[in-house]
Amino acid sequence: MAESLAFLRRHRWVWPLIGILILWAALTVLTSRFSLYSLSGIAISSSFLLLPAFGQMLVITTGRGNIDLSIPSTVTLAAYVSVMTSDGTNAGFALTLAAVLAIGLGVGIFNAFLVLVVRIPAMIATLASGYILATGVMIVNARIGMFSRAPLHGWLSTGRVGSLPVMLIIAVLVAIAAGFLLSRSAYGRQLFAVGQSQEAARLAGVRVKRIIASTFVCSALLSSVTGLLLSGYAGGAFLEMGTPYLLQSVGAVVLGGTLIAGGSATAFGTLLGAMLLVMIVTTMQIAGLPPGTQDILQGVVIIGVLSLAGARMGRSSS
Amino acid sequence: MLDAMLEPAPTAVPLDANREALLRLQSIGKSYGSTRANHDINLEIHAGEVLGLVGANGAGKSTLMRILCGVTMPSDGTMRLAGEPLDLAAFSPAEARRRGIRIAWQELSLSPNLSVAENFYVEQPQFARLNPLWLRDYHRLAKEALERIFPGARVPTSQLVGELSIAERQMVEIARAASDPQLKLLILDEPTSSLGAERSRQLRSFVRNLTARGIGVIFISHKLSEVIDISDRVVAMRNGQVVWVRQAEGTSIADLVDAMGGAGAAQERLAREHVSDGEVRVRLSGDRFGPEPIELKSGEIIGIAGLEGSGQRDLLAALFSRKPPADIMRNGRTRYVSGDRGYEGVFPLWSVLDNISIGRIARRSPLSLVRDGQERPVARERARRLALDEQRLDSNILDLSGGNQQKALVARALDEDADIILLDDPTRGVDIAAKGDFYRLVREIANAGKLVIWHSTEDLEFLQCDRVLVFAGGEIVAELTGSDISEEAIVAASFLQPKKPPEAPSEGRTRVIATALRAIPFVSLLAVFAIMTSINPLVASTFGLELLLAPAVTLVLIALAQMFVVGGSEIDLGVGGFTGFINVVSATILVASPLLGIGALVAGLLGYALIGFIIQARAIPAIVVTLGASFIWMGMGQTIQSSPGGSAPSWLAPLFNWSLWGLPTPLILIALAGMVAVCLDRSPTGTILRAFGSGTRALERAGWSPIRYAMLRYVIAAAFAMVAGLYVTATNHASDINAGASFTLLSIAAVVIGGCQLLGGFIAPLGVVAGAVTLALIGALLASLGVNTDYNAAVQGSLLIAILALQALALRRRKNG
Repeated sequence: MAESLAFLRRHRWVWPLIGILILWAALTVLTSRFSLYSLSGIAISSSFLLLPAFGQMLVITTGRGNIDLSIPSTVTLAAYVSVMTSDGTNAGFALTLAAVLAIGLGVGIFNAFLVLVVRIPAMIATLASGYILATGVMIVNARIGMFSRAPLHGWLSTGRVGSLPVMLIIAVLVAIAAGFLLSRSAYGRQLFAVGQSQEAARLAGVRVKRIIASTFVCSALLSSVTGLLLSGYAGGAFLEMGTPYLLQSVGAVVLGGTLIAGGSATAFGTLLGAMLLVMIVTTMQIAGLPPGTQDILQGVVIIGVLSLAGARMGRSSS
Repeated sequence: MLDAMLEPAPTAVPLDANREALLRLQSIGKSYGSTRANHDINLEIHAGEVLGLVGANGAGKSTLMRILCGVTMPSDGTMRLAGEPLDLAAFSPAEARRRGIRIAWQELSLSPNLSVAENFYVEQPQFARLNPLWLRDYHRLAKEALERIFPGARVPTSQLVGELSIAERQMVEIARAASDPQLKLLILDEPTSSLGAERSRQLRSFVRNLTARGIGVIFISHKLSEVIDISDRVVAMRNGQVVWVRQAEGTSIADLVDAMGGAGAAQERLAREHVSDGEVRVRLSGDRFGPEPIELKSGEIIGIAGLEGSGQRDLLAALFSRKPPADIMRNGRTRYVSGDRGYEGVFPLWSVLDNISIGRIARRSPLSLVRDGQERPVARERARRLALDEQRLDSNILDLSGGNQQKALVARALDEDADIILLDDPTRGVDIAAKGDFYRLVREIANAGKLVIWHSTEDLEFLQCDRVLVFAGGEIVAELTGSDISEEAIVAASFLQPKKPPEAPSEGRTRVIATALRAIPFVSLLAVFAIMTSINPLVASTFGLELLLAPAVTLVLIALAQMFVVGGSEIDLGVGGFTGFINVVSATILVASPLLGIGALVAGLLGYALIGFIIQARAIPAIVVTLGASFIWMGMGQTIQSSPGGSAPSWLAPLFNWSLWGLPTPLILIALAGMVAVCLDRSPTGTILRAFGSGTRALERAGWSPIRYAMLRYVIAAAFAMVAGLYVTATNHASDINAGASFTLLSIAAVVIGGCQLLGGFIAPLGVVAGAVTLALIGALLASLGVNTDYNAAVQGSLLIAILALQALALRRRKNG
């Protein structure tokens, strides 16, 4: 009993897995419509959510209440830029990709600069930079023209290899990379050290600022790539495109068992958390709930899970 | 009334051996898991008696004191106060205070963001009257209490405690605890640690005065001569038990040291007169290091001594920094071992193994692999060298005792390629036996050819060093070698004056910056208003003001809501959504069915109370909870009304639409909102809310419930936001759930521009009002300049960043100044 409890505490991803199985079972029993096909829809939606969720996970893991609130604006802006720079050829797609990555890099560095050099709390810094980006979106929104999608762009976001969506393959590759980074690399250890105690990490020799900066840059890069792929998937860009990713990125991280207080994260958990969250949303859509109710339930689920799990560091240090 | 309570009671209690003890402890014990912090403690304290309490760090004194004043519940035993048994389950800090037990904590329990007088209120709330000038009583109480104990100290009672010197803070802490007229038992925990000789003498004479009035005093101190001087009886603790009780008369310091566990092991001098011929690792050649350059070599143990805060830690920090300053030459790689394990040492989520191996991993390239099989043998080898049980490598680091945790931290630093080991007071809170081990270890490290630089706050430890550099006022004033090293020599040198008196921080400039920051909202308000008037003179007319300020009212109210949350060092990301929700409810349900509508509004308030409860009770970051809540508010608004519309209840508009002396209504509303906020903030309740902004522990010990005040804080915020939502309905006669969202960032911007600090509980209601009006006017100004409204968000975001950058710059200068 005590051992299984310890197992659960160490492998917090078990909880979202249980959630997924229950929800899946319930859906299969309740609706005949729910088939393997809808599961593939869930897989694609989760794949899109997974990229910004990994970014959010890295930022949250640095601790001290760090969070990236600029994700939705970055996603939207990147989508707009993808549409605007696209000329329908694969050669032109290289330029699009470069522009999108440049946006991600720029936003990430700007956020890191605000947090580390100007020392503005991350939530305020990213909230403010998100607003600035939103203005950028408004400005380009006025000039957006027709979208001619490059074949490669289309293949990446909607194509399939055999029966597997390319997007899913991308997400799985990113998940493997994130999993490796967190659990097997020196970077992961250094990040977890920073998240538990910045002072202790600094005195142990970790280059704290570099680690924190890298998480903001990763987060912005992943968000901008999401914007790129999303525009290819949706065949265009629209104003509210990134909005769901604010709450859902936090939600996937929280549901996956990453500590909201920082210092401990699990890529596999976030993967399952993203799937669970998308399943919850899908269930609500199948049930025909209006968008307002869906928002309410998402908020309730996230607060509820947090309240149950608590955010206290593994144990009190007193 | 106050005079009466400050006068000593006329009747002295005669000493009588047979009387009932003031407080009697019977087999009190306290276990944390497998560790017994206190065990079978039997003790009595009589009225009019001073009981001295001594014991090494970790002997269990602090636990016992926490039990006495209701902070910690003992696992076993009973307590009787004046013969009456105490119900230990219900014995809270508040109950202890009610029964006249007060404590002046060693780590000081003052709120730095409150004035001295307000801090007295936190501890003695019973004198507060329902009167706008209630705080005056506390100024008087504080002044008289301080003057009575420390004549001539002249601590300004309206000063923020954070701006006082450490000695002044300690005096406030003591005076505050002792000012209770119901006082029966006063516990002084290391009361003189920061006080000079004269203040310490004043305190002791005050303690005598207290005992003459029949009050019992427990006096805990490491300064053994003071303990013997003041106490009637002395109790020594060791390993969580009382091991020694005796009359103070006839007791010597040596007796006490013996009783506490003997410093025999610690005092043993591993004397070694030798001149190291190792490689020069550090050369200190600046003016501040004395006339001759000082060379520190491999194989040496160098002590860094001096009064606390004389520049010792600055030297360690400089030696550890990536690029040392020009006057410090460093040749070799450094490792740092801190004695502040909780804050600077352990990684609490990790096992001992991970805590050790991070030292190797921290310096690797990010993408290199980490393999348990590689780290474990290294960690095991180091653990063996440090006599740290290998079986415990997989335990959580916090399961280890302080001494063993420290060993793990040293193991972390034992890299082959490290040349210089910096020790920052490593034996803090480590028991005496473990210290002996530790000293041997340090010598071994030095013998292995490493330079050890050791800062300690215990002068006795310098006997372990080859050389000692003594700091005073940021300079090295003496260098002691070999047999010259003695406690007396170090203490004598510590009080030497440095050649140059250290430059006093430029108070003047700091104050100028602080004033400038406070003035920002008002100056920018005037500036924006002036620009607008110069563009269009009609702006300054009554009608112009009415038109201009009407939209500002909403933001002022929401910003004030945000301010009360920021006062608790938290942020509400849902305040905009909540305002929109109220707007929708009042424009739809409240019109159609007033009763149901009022029910919905009350439910909104309760929702906020629940948010406060969840954040506090489950220790979840406010930002995530309020972010989740914002989706709930928006979702509910959308469900009630999916597209903009609705109307206002007929009774609502008149509430916000009246006129006084021909003044523009919005101006009056803004002034009113500001006044309400100021009154709330300055009220006794507001004082406690603010106090919680600088930390909950002290407040909890003073008997205030963090959960209750967290809920209250959010309900107050919700009330302001609710008025804002109602105002929007009343003026627009319609509602739009999405209209509220943008107010979240604006409210944070207004709060920041208004001069509040996001952490620490410093808030300024009037500044927030001015900041909010400024922001609202900027929107109007941009519009009148023909700037596309799309740019509003960017301008506001940039403004927020700019002001925060300015604040950060000013704060940094204050710290460095």
